[in-house]
Amino acid sequence: MTKKAKGRLRLLVSMLALVVLLSSCGGGGSKSEKVDGGKVTLQFWTIALQPTFTPYFNRVIADYEQKNPNVKIDWKDYPYDAVTNKLLTSIASNSSPDVVNLNTEFASQMGSKGAVVDMNEHLSPEEKAAYFEGIYNSTVINGKAYALPWYTGTEVLYMNTKLVKAAGLDPAHPPKTREELSEWGRQINRKIGRAGYAQQLVSKLFAVDGIPILNKEKTAAAFNTPEAVTMIDNLKKQMEDGIVLKEDAEFSQQVKYYAGEQVAFELAGPTFINFIKTAAPDVYKNTIAVPVPTGKADVRLSNSMDLVVPAKSAHVDEAVKFAVFLTNAESQTAFSKAANTLPSTKDSIKDPYFTQSDKSLEAQAKVVSAQSLDKATDYMVGVPNAKDVNSAIARALQNMVLNGTDTKQTLTALEQEVNDILKQ
Amino acid sequence: MIKWLRSESFTAWAFMTPGLLLLAVFVFWPIIYSIPLALTDYSVISDTHFVGLDNFEAAFKDRNFLISIWNSLLYVLIVPFLQIFSILMAVLVNSRIPGIKIFRTTYYIPVVTSMVAVALIWSWLLGKNSIVNYLLMQVGLISKDIHWLSDSNLALYVLMFITMWKGLGYYMMLYLAGLQNIPQDLYEAARVDGASRWRLIVHITLPLLRPYVLFCTLISLMSAIRVFDEVYVLTKGGPGTATLTSSLYIFQKGMEQFNFGYASALGLIVGAMIALLSIIVFRFNRKGGVNPY
Repeated sequence: MTKKAKGRLRLLVSMLALVVLLSSCGGGGSKSEKVDGGKVTLQFWTIALQPTFTPYFNRVIADYEQKNPNVKIDWKDYPYDAVTNKLLTSIASNSSPDVVNLNTEFASQMGSKGAVVDMNEHLSPEEKAAYFEGIYNSTVINGKAYALPWYTGTEVLYMNTKLVKAAGLDPAHPPKTREELSEWGRQINRKIGRAGYAQQLVSKLFAVDGIPILNKEKTAAAFNTPEAVTMIDNLKKQMEDGIVLKEDAEFSQQVKYYAGEQVAFELAGPTFINFIKTAAPDVYKNTIAVPVPTGKADVRLSNSMDLVVPAKSAHVDEAVKFAVFLTNAESQTAFSKAANTLPSTKDSIKDPYFTQSDKSLEAQAKVVSAQSLDKATDYMVGVPNAKDVNSAIARALQNMVLNGTDTKQTLTALEQEVNDILKQ
Repeated sequence: MIKWLRSESFTAWAFMTPGLLLLAVFVFWPIIYSIPLALTDYSVISDTHFVGLDNFEAAFKDRNFLISIWNSLLYVLIVPFLQIFSILMAVLVNSRIPGIKIFRTTYYIPVVTSMVAVALIWSWLLGKNSIVNYLLMQVGLISKDIHWLSDSNLALYVLMFITMWKGLGYYMMLYLAGLQNIPQDLYEAARVDGASRWRLIVHITLPLLRPYVLFCTLISLMSAIRVFDEVYVLTKGGPGTATLTSSLYIFQKGMEQFNFGYASALGLIVGAMIALLSIIVFRFNRKGGVNPY
């Protein structure tokens, strides 16, 4: 070996040693206990709720700390895009938060990996009974409830009355089923050259028509049925006929199309109102909200935010207690009033706030969707590895509907793929 | 020791050390660490188990991964176009036309614009009832709206075009530096011998630009295989798997589905593929350039 080569080798070995030394800094250790002068400090994380709802949380946290003097709540809020990375890195570095706000898909994914506490072990039957059953069960996998349902939303049908009237239809008698909605879309397309609505190609489409995504045991795919073939072929035809826009439209894209009056309808939750109010005030003025037309399953799908307690939390009991407090009927009613969301607790919707309408679009949407909460069910009910399953289904739906692949063959391949995911 | 402290090599190392330390921590170490990680089912949030070569075996049976590799290789098609157009643009902006600096700046604007902003602008330009469709319909090139990003036959090529559009200015600047390094007396001598403009380009400009071509080809090749931003913002790999690239698939497996062990294995496979392609490019581009000594 030449002198030069030896020097290079030494340099390489020195650098590697330095890297190993540096990388061994930090990390390790066990759960980080945060006890401050006899007080337990709970790390509570939410998604995108600051600063708009800071007064509500300051109030509810102060109330809780007063009732539980041994507990201090350290509330942090992260943007939607950052919370996943933040949570993963904190768990990896053994500084896990204690109570975290996640959506159902993410909560189920974490539940599948055994990374969150089973709420069924900690809640009394009375506490469990406070939530709408369909929503509570959304994160139950193999009898274990991986999250507490928090605020939720069900879809309503937003209708551009100007376009509907221009097509010779009567907004006072809105469509009640998907078939009727389809016919309305056809007439709108024929008369004024606009589409009925835009939608995202996701697993929800199966649930609307009552096609189960998985079998009862959640061990295998159950969507490869003649009904599913019919549903997908029907959707293809609707796109060809201009009833549904021929694309996989994310929510932001749907807002754009509705605001630009490219479509006459939007099927969305209450948050849609704020977007449309900002993006197109004129369109907002012409919009009304009516109950969402149901598919063959006659269910209304909810889309919930949950609270989870990571398994690596150092204060599981205190964390569960705080999560229960935050999701009880009283707290949820107050939050719904502050945030224009829907509660997941049965007692909350008895409040006049959810039954009386001042005829504004917001009130219409709120009353309509609150009254359908008892029928609400989250379409990803207890799906293990929900994120993997969802992304596989979305890809296959796009292939069938947009790329024109054979429906039966693609569904069979998708069934195999989902079964492989479930075996992981 | 004192002698060494005063040497040029010490000065060089002193300047390089901060950068090398950062590279060591944020680049070299993660690459090294991904090797043992690829042999486990590491997911950050649950217990880790050793799985041997299972991840690699699964990768070669994973249809989506193979599609993503194919799409990434297709993406490499932009490399020759990118080089040819950026060399032409560099030659153009190297001329002494009045106001040429304005063109140089204009061509460079997409480079300094964030890819997310670029992608969003293109999504508006290419959406339904968009300006692009309108203009094409006006000149009679198309008869109805084209779904540029929802059509599986078009989406990947549209993304490639956007990547190329954004990268042209960057490579143009590198080639411009190369052009300005070529000694002018070579051109003058050739002109005295009666060489045409075309011969000057073929026999002087291109051979002396070869090191730049090698460098630009290499980095654009790596960028093409690792393309992520525009795909993530515009199509998320869709429709179906039409624009699913290897980087996006690795991201989905790791950051969205928490299969970090598997994602590490995929990363190593893609890394090996990039290394192999780089070696091939090196072997074909070993000559040429200006020898300053």
